[in-house]
Amino acid sequence: MAWIDQLLREGARRVDEVEVFFAKGIAVSADLKRKNINIATRSDECGLGIRTIDKGRIGSSSTHNPKKWKECLNAAIASGKLATPQRWDGLPEPVARDHEEICHDPLLTVDPETATGLLGQMLEGASQHPVQVTSGSATLSVSTDIIVNSCGVRYTSRYTGVSISLESIKDQSTGTEFAQSCFMDIDPFAVGERAAFLAFHSSGGQEITSGDYDVLLSPLAYAELLGAAFIPALNGRNVHVGRSLLAKKLGESIMDSHLSMYDDPFRQRGLGSTFWDAEGMPTKRIDFVRDGVLSSFAYDLRTAYRYGKESTASAIRGGASAGTAIGHHNFIIDGPRTGVADERVIYVNGVVGAHTANPMSGDFSVELSNAFWMEDGEFQAPIRSAMLAGNVFAMHKDIGGISDEMRQIGSMVLPSIRLQGQRVIGK
Amino acid sequence: MSEPSSIRYHDLRHVTGQSTLIDIDNGAVESAGTSFFNRAILRVLGSHGWGILQIDNFSPCSKKKFNSLLASASRLAAVTRQDVDLSEATYHALGVPPMQEDPRDVSIEEKTSLLSEIEQAARHPEIVNRRANYIERSEHILFSDSSGHEFSYEICRSGFNVLAVASRNGTVQMGYERVHSISGFDLRHRQEYGEKAAKVAIALLDAGNAKGGRMRAVLDPELAGVFAHEAVGHASEGDLVQEGSSVLAGRVGERIGNDRLSIVDDPSIPEFGFEPFDAEGVAVKRTEIIRNGVVNAFLHSRETLAAVGHGIAGHARAMAAEPPLVRMSNTYIENGDSTLEEMMELCKNGILLKGSRGGQVDPGRGIFQFNAEYGFLIEEGECTRMVRDVSLSGEILSTLHGILLCGNDRSMHPGYCGKGGQSVPVSDGAPHILLENAMVGGSGVD
Repeated sequence: MAWIDQLLREGARRVDEVEVFFAKGIAVSADLKRKNINIATRSDECGLGIRTIDKGRIGSSSTHNPKKWKECLNAAIASGKLATPQRWDGLPEPVARDHEEICHDPLLTVDPETATGLLGQMLEGASQHPVQVTSGSATLSVSTDIIVNSCGVRYTSRYTGVSISLESIKDQSTGTEFAQSCFMDIDPFAVGERAAFLAFHSSGGQEITSGDYDVLLSPLAYAELLGAAFIPALNGRNVHVGRSLLAKKLGESIMDSHLSMYDDPFRQRGLGSTFWDAEGMPTKRIDFVRDGVLSSFAYDLRTAYRYGKESTASAIRGGASAGTAIGHHNFIIDGPRTGVADERVIYVNGVVGAHTANPMSGDFSVELSNAFWMEDGEFQAPIRSAMLAGNVFAMHKDIGGISDEMRQIGSMVLPSIRLQGQRVIGK
Repeated sequence: MSEPSSIRYHDLRHVTGQSTLIDIDNGAVESAGTSFFNRAILRVLGSHGWGILQIDNFSPCSKKKFNSLLASASRLAAVTRQDVDLSEATYHALGVPPMQEDPRDVSIEEKTSLLSEIEQAARHPEIVNRRANYIERSEHILFSDSSGHEFSYEICRSGFNVLAVASRNGTVQMGYERVHSISGFDLRHRQEYGEKAAKVAIALLDAGNAKGGRMRAVLDPELAGVFAHEAVGHASEGDLVQEGSSVLAGRVGERIGNDRLSIVDDPSIPEFGFEPFDAEGVAVKRTEIIRNGVVNAFLHSRETLAAVGHGIAGHARAMAAEPPLVRMSNTYIENGDSTLEEMMELCKNGILLKGSRGGQVDPGRGIFQFNAEYGFLIEEGECTRMVRDVSLSGEILSTLHGILLCGNDRSMHPGYCGKGGQSVPVSDGAPHILLENAMVGGSGVD
């Protein structure tokens, strides 16, 4: 790709520094309409993102057409001219790293037959319960990302991915399940069986009286609430510009001392595992919360330089056209494990409307989906409908424990968490 | 290479254009620039179902190259087993409404300076963060199909959001305003939105938490529009009806609300969800989903209309290079004849809910949830204490019966709607409505 070197040379002539992100990939998917495949898709993806830095002014642009890199470079430089200048101490230089590919499975094949096979196994799993399958999907992908900058960084990463999902219904009771991995290690039968189980066992749900109850959030329900309101408060930019409730609490106890939260970019088989972040900074473990005490926020280079902090290598990119932002790689909740479902509790598999939570205060009120009474670890009577109202910061203060089992939900790896005395609004 | 013989139909939708984004955060211009996109989707209907190619950086190609793309899509279609049929459709392209001022004629420097005025208008000693974003996206869409239809159009959507965050003694609250349209550049003299965001954020510092439970609720036009979208719109989408994940399936002709209630989706009106023709090239028209309380029709693509019936095609929409899905466009509750005063009086004791933080629905289960930006308690017909973080949930088949009154002051509000990983511009609207027995979620206690 000689054009990348040309781009770097041309950029270096006109601005202090240039960063190039180029991604290319293929994805194949097959979708079910009820029990039959109605669509098979192949996607050819290609994108170029350019960032320029000149006297502390950061510019950016993107295009799907790498042949038009000159137009894209011009647009990036023009955008930098409008940006407010800030302190800038340089893009990273290359660091020798073990170049083992961490999210690439050479055995993963990207073809419609493999996708079809995964759907077949999910359907078989779903047939374990008397429900109707409404839709499902299986996607396989392979992609290559390249980060190059004018300070000598040139990292190439190959990724593979498989994701599957199935939705089912029994009367007016729905159940959905999914799995996602960089490796061909998912269990499609189990995914299908679980989707059908949830629909089947949620039907005939009973009303619940409003009151305060102990609630066991599944990793899925927990991930939705964390993502909507807690994780944005750990973002260094939000902290410094006044959009985080945690801003002045570094070093303070902010939650139950049995809880820790960290980002582990090197986690085996983690969906977000990587040796460098989206700006080419070498990644490292970040301890956000240690035994209940707030210990760190997440920074990219821009935010770190501006506020006199160090980058935690937390820059992420949702593709070439998305630009860089502060995020995490594998966000993990850890702590001593207990039997969270020994005593009677409301198990909540999912919530409806987590994104409507108040991202500043952390207050939420969401509808429950696939909620059951649970005792001795066993599912008991389903709950028909109810709302859960609470606060994502306060709910961590005095928890009833976290489960042994962990589940990967996107870039989070979470246990189930037992919360005490949560407000449930029923009939 | 000739066109593969197993192909019953094919279409190509090619989207090119550019987007301009400006982000001002506490006075600093974080970014202000332009990016370019070029994506296409080729759909082929084989003996059973669809084979689809999504192509980044597409360029119009020779007949030979195009036939080889058709052959690739055809090989994908060969793994499908669902028998897909397409309904007949009418074809017509509406003109894109003219813009008063084309945003592309305004320099990015001027846009940045105007946005900055809006952001600065949110300044106040208790406001700890102000953020304003400008979003402009101009798209050129070229559609052609194997039946010989070929249409194109260009549309520019633009607008801004402004956020203000207030803080006092450890309490943090926000106010958020947005203006988006297809009617042209609209950043001039808009400081009032910055001021309003700040005012709401500060007022919310003193607001209480609502006590959850069942009560009467008056919804403002913006929130009532989201109610129509979540409670009825999604469940009327033909693909969900077809696959059995909508509680409205099989209920055409059934009464699910009172006589006063009519809910419409109309992609042809010049609001934020406008489309000159849909993502299958089909003419767009108004669909009355609920007419006088009775389920009247579903929203459809050609595929779902053929499978389900009841309605018209022309409701398929797609992001660039994404497969068309049955989607809402401009969805609203028709005006009734009540005044807000009459509603407050009849409500007597309850809650007035204003603004929207979005919502979500499980259409198969028939349960929806949505969240207001803020509200006021109604006591003896008067608005009293301000409350925050109030959400509403309900069941599609029962809640609509609870609409006691519809106002005569409908207005439309722009937003984006997500489905199947695609986000498309929509508008929702309604007059004020009075809802009986509303399920209000809040963490407050007596």
